[in-house]
Amino acid sequence: MAALSEEVLLVVKRVRQRKQDGTLYLMAERIAWGPEGKDRFTVSHLYADIRCQKISPDGKAKIQLQLVLHTGESTNLHFSNESTALKDRDAAKDLLQQLLPKFKKRANKELEEKNRMLQEDPVLFQLYKDLVVCQVISAEEFWANRLSINNVDHSLSNNKQEVGISAAFLADIRPQTDGCNGLRYNLTSDIIESIFRTYPAVKQKYGENVPHNMTEKEFWTRFFQSHYFHRDRINTGLQDIFSECAKQDEKGLKSMVFQGVKNPMVDLLSLEDKSLDEGYGSNSTAPSTSNTNKTVKENSNSAIIKRFNHHSTMVLAAGSGKKAQTVCFLSKRSWHFVIKCCGVFQVKIQDVIEYEDLHRENGKKTVALNLKKSDSVLSGSALCTASCAIAALSPGGVLMQALAQQAINQMVPNDVQGELKHLYTAAGELLRHFWSCFPVNTLFLEEKVVKMRSNLERFQMTKLRPFQEKVQRQYLSTNLTGHLEDMFQMAYNKFHAWQTRRMMRKT
Amino acid sequence: MKLNIEGLLVYFPYDYIYPEQYSYMLELKRTLDAKGHGVLEMPSGTGKTISLLSLIVAYQREYPLEVTKLIYCSRTVPEIEKVVEELRKLMEFYSKETGEKNNILALALSSRKNLCVHPEVSSLRFGKEVDGKCHSLTASYIRAQRHSNPSLPSCRFYEEFDAMGKQVPLPAGVYNLDDLKDFGRRKGWCPYYLARYSILHANIIVYSYHYLLDPKIADLVSKELSKKSVVVFDEAHNIDNVCIDSMSVNITRRTLDRSQANVETLQNTILKIKETDAAKLKEEYRRLVEGLKEANVARETDIYMSNPVLPDEILQEAVPGSIRTAEHFVGFMKRFLEYLKARLRIHHVVQESAPQFLKDIFEKVCIDRKPLRFCAERLRSLLRTLEIADIADFSAITLISNFATLVSTYSKGFTIIIEPFEDRTPTIANPVLHFSCMDPSIAIKPVFERFQSVIITSGTLSPLDIYPRILDFRPVTVASFTMTLARTCLCPLVVGRGNDQVAMTSKFETREDFAVIRNYGNLLLEMSAIVPDGIVAFFTSYTYMENIVASWYEQGILENVQRNKLIFIETPDAAETSMALEKYQEACENGRGAILLSVARGKVSEGIDFVHHFGRAVIMFGVPYVYTQSRILKARLEYLRDQFQIRENDFLTFDAMRHAAQCVGRAIRGKTDYGLMIFADKRYARADKRGKLPRWIQEHLTDGSLNLTIDETVQLSKHFLRQMAHSIHDISNCNVQCFCQLNLSQEDQLGLSLLTLEQLQSEDMLQKIAQIAHQA
Repeated sequence: MAALSEEVLLVVKRVRQRKQDGTLYLMAERIAWGPEGKDRFTVSHLYADIRCQKISPDGKAKIQLQLVLHTGESTNLHFSNESTALKDRDAAKDLLQQLLPKFKKRANKELEEKNRMLQEDPVLFQLYKDLVVCQVISAEEFWANRLSINNVDHSLSNNKQEVGISAAFLADIRPQTDGCNGLRYNLTSDIIESIFRTYPAVKQKYGENVPHNMTEKEFWTRFFQSHYFHRDRINTGLQDIFSECAKQDEKGLKSMVFQGVKNPMVDLLSLEDKSLDEGYGSNSTAPSTSNTNKTVKENSNSAIIKRFNHHSTMVLAAGSGKKAQTVCFLSKRSWHFVIKCCGVFQVKIQDVIEYEDLHRENGKKTVALNLKKSDSVLSGSALCTASCAIAALSPGGVLMQALAQQAINQMVPNDVQGELKHLYTAAGELLRHFWSCFPVNTLFLEEKVVKMRSNLERFQMTKLRPFQEKVQRQYLSTNLTGHLEDMFQMAYNKFHAWQTRRMMRKT
Repeated sequence: MKLNIEGLLVYFPYDYIYPEQYSYMLELKRTLDAKGHGVLEMPSGTGKTISLLSLIVAYQREYPLEVTKLIYCSRTVPEIEKVVEELRKLMEFYSKETGEKNNILALALSSRKNLCVHPEVSSLRFGKEVDGKCHSLTASYIRAQRHSNPSLPSCRFYEEFDAMGKQVPLPAGVYNLDDLKDFGRRKGWCPYYLARYSILHANIIVYSYHYLLDPKIADLVSKELSKKSVVVFDEAHNIDNVCIDSMSVNITRRTLDRSQANVETLQNTILKIKETDAAKLKEEYRRLVEGLKEANVARETDIYMSNPVLPDEILQEAVPGSIRTAEHFVGFMKRFLEYLKARLRIHHVVQESAPQFLKDIFEKVCIDRKPLRFCAERLRSLLRTLEIADIADFSAITLISNFATLVSTYSKGFTIIIEPFEDRTPTIANPVLHFSCMDPSIAIKPVFERFQSVIITSGTLSPLDIYPRILDFRPVTVASFTMTLARTCLCPLVVGRGNDQVAMTSKFETREDFAVIRNYGNLLLEMSAIVPDGIVAFFTSYTYMENIVASWYEQGILENVQRNKLIFIETPDAAETSMALEKYQEACENGRGAILLSVARGKVSEGIDFVHHFGRAVIMFGVPYVYTQSRILKARLEYLRDQFQIRENDFLTFDAMRHAAQCVGRAIRGKTDYGLMIFADKRYARADKRGKLPRWIQEHLTDGSLNLTIDETVQLSKHFLRQMAHSIHDISNCNVQCFCQLNLSQEDQLGLSLLTLEQLQSEDMLQKIAQIAHQA
């Protein structure tokens, strides 16, 4: 049993399941129950499979915990130790409460991913309907190699790409009046993360103060009271722990401004060739920079403007993560710019002065496939059959004869065409599964190929036959499914050949 | 392709040509033939620059004796560099087609900041610092001092250039700023002085307006340029303001205090020199007696002290006796300063003309007009004699002396306004003396008189007839060209009402109205939801934007906008705004989309292009009228009315509309670009406003796009964007109707908005082209 290497987080004795006494184990990745006196588990659920837990109401005599799985099944656990039943149940419940969300995320992600794929790809969705919903193959089989392909880039991107931050995340914290002269802010962990990522200074403050100086709640209360959050309020007191954040932001902004911009086309400072000297010009009433001249309102207005610029900058920076990553966002235009730091301006200008449409079109550049040794590529036996198949499918080839004279779309109504298309994709998918088992060199593949063959047969019976009959009822002459059947036959032949060879080897 | 423009062979470095480019060249050629001036309006992105360059270069080659030089003036440094790059392209095409090497020398000239290669000096951040540092190394008397004291620091680049650079002219070719720097580094010559020296014999010069329009600089840099030059002012829609700015002076109490300090320094220096080197002062005195027309030997580095008055009005006479000796001059300046101080000690606004001012100064402190006129020249001579190293410190006294010279030279076209405080803060005394130029023709007049052809061109010059009037010249050609389009890639809409039917306007009486602000906010919010990538919104003034942003913030509108796009806002600080701009572009690039809130007449609206996805929509909130309560403006309007018979309202509307056109034009930078232009003010629907928009925008402003509600605007915009979003590939699969309307592939543009040589030669095409130019 793998349980030996697993970490056991909680053990609860005297838990009944199906009227049998036993022990409940909560482990790192799963929950398990084994009957008294036996050393194996009769019930074992991965946390990821559990949708939720339910508990019996407090007043009830039986103290129970129900685990509902994603599949809809449920397991009832009855805590029967009279004296500590309630305590036991609550301990288990609390632990589960902590554990489940962690796994839920993972499970959800997978589900979400599957969902997304189905939504984005109507063909796949149809296939899913044809194969899984009609129970030709199981969902796991269906996803088996799809997700694995997907998992590769998924896991790659999963590690690196973070979700961007909504620019309006602060707006989502709508304060509600609680009826007694107070405001209530709803914070979710997403929003908190957004705040931390956008305003690292706040995160730092959080780290410094929570939990030694104040509770989390107190921290956020202060945050929302601070002028930092309400940027239009002018900084008044020094006791505000966030006044330092504002200063830090200011400093960061200043240093960014001082660094200047990389793109000379937007550098307003160097735009003018020769600015007028001080004192010349018609409206150079030397803008009074001293704050004394400004009213409080003006000050707060410019604070708002600064805040928006800063906020957007920070959101943008948080979204693009590290410097290196920003590169990939830039389109071709700025690519030049990143690569060639010295010749930046030239490139930019070249881009700007170029009138694309005034040039004669040079034709789209295509890359020709250049096979050095085409013989060796084509010599493989598999490829031989492939080229045969291509020949057969080419106009004038064997398989094209039936359809060559009249195009299919002129003879067959649209709904039948659509159905045929679905059949083709589904059959193609099944056949892909089937052929991917070859060469059969593991036990697993052996099992799979057998299963696949039966799947094929089932498909032929449940889907193809009815269709054929339907077609025959309407169009006696045309053989729409001939090619499909050929493909199936080909697969059966292959399976047969493989099976006989295996029998030979065995005997 | 090679073109035949009324008998002139023009090399055009592209395979195709836009019809309007051809038309433009025709008009240009006629202007040059007539040796007159021209006003040409053609939308940006239709290849104005290359048309100009192709034709003028061809003309120069054909008639080398008629046109010897092209002086191309542009406004910003990036623009200048763009022009030179286009020119390079043209020259490469020439040598490819003709097979011979070009002997044309073309170069860009910019300030020291952009050209200096001295390791220490060029690392300075601000133009003024670079100029000052350069001056302290290369001024003529500093170099003279070095003869006796070789340990003084010097600029080896300048020394090398001075020793060697003038012997051999710069080899033919096209030199952008970086090329000049490279060349300078390679040879060890100062690129700045090399460029300034080379413009004398260059065939094509590209530099900024100031080198021609600001008399203080023009006198030094552009004095000796040949009369047979063609001058082009590109992006010239604001040329009148450039002229006015270069001639106007503002004096505050701070200026006077600093001048006072300057005068004291001068006095002390004079005393010191008197003890050590009295001969020097005597020598200066002798020179002044002889007159100011001294030889200009080794004076090129003394850029600061040039005369603010125009070149041909440079005084030929000797400096009057009363200010000839150094002490007397310093005393004179002291008196003048005291007088100005007294004038600033006021409690109410004073406005007077230059003659009134002169009369008053004569009565109060017995300062005559004549010595005042020589003030700038006299100071220049004194500073040189005293060998003051750090000249930047003397900017205050220089300003005062320039003012003295200007006020005593021009009796007309200027006004003096003394304000005791700013209008917004009447409690804080901050007296300012504005010496304000009201007549842009004063600064540009010598340019028109001196050069045989001056071309004023821009994307937005409508209404065309006003420029010749305010600049006081007689053009031989005035034309506006439309943009021929295979697809309508711009969509101007006038939003006049909110969904609640409340009129949307930035009119002074209603601009603070809650409903107006809310409707503006809703418009922005709705647009942020449907427009992809970047939106640029312009407000009429910075204060107005601040107020609106604040109330949008309070109303929670901006929060909702943030759900769709990031928000960046222009600030008065240029560095901050640059950063906001860069981030804005970044956000457009990475697909998040952003909104830039900006100000008409601001730096962004004048110098930054929002091509393609950087600006899919421009919203102009309100009509950007200039702040009409300003006394300077009032004086100018009065002057325009009296002198040029331009009604106040006409000028104000013209000025507002040119800025509005500039703002919305920022988004369309070519035929492949597309964008919405949303005029959010009901007043735009009126004929007097609409009629002042450039023709290429007006054309697309139909009755159906006037006085819309926000909802209607959103509907029309959605439709437009959907049409535009079809890429070329999508369309080729589309049905035929679609194809004609939308496809922008070359085949479809060809013959319509894009011509081959053959098409160009056909009769009816030439007729069509004749219609493109709209003679004003």
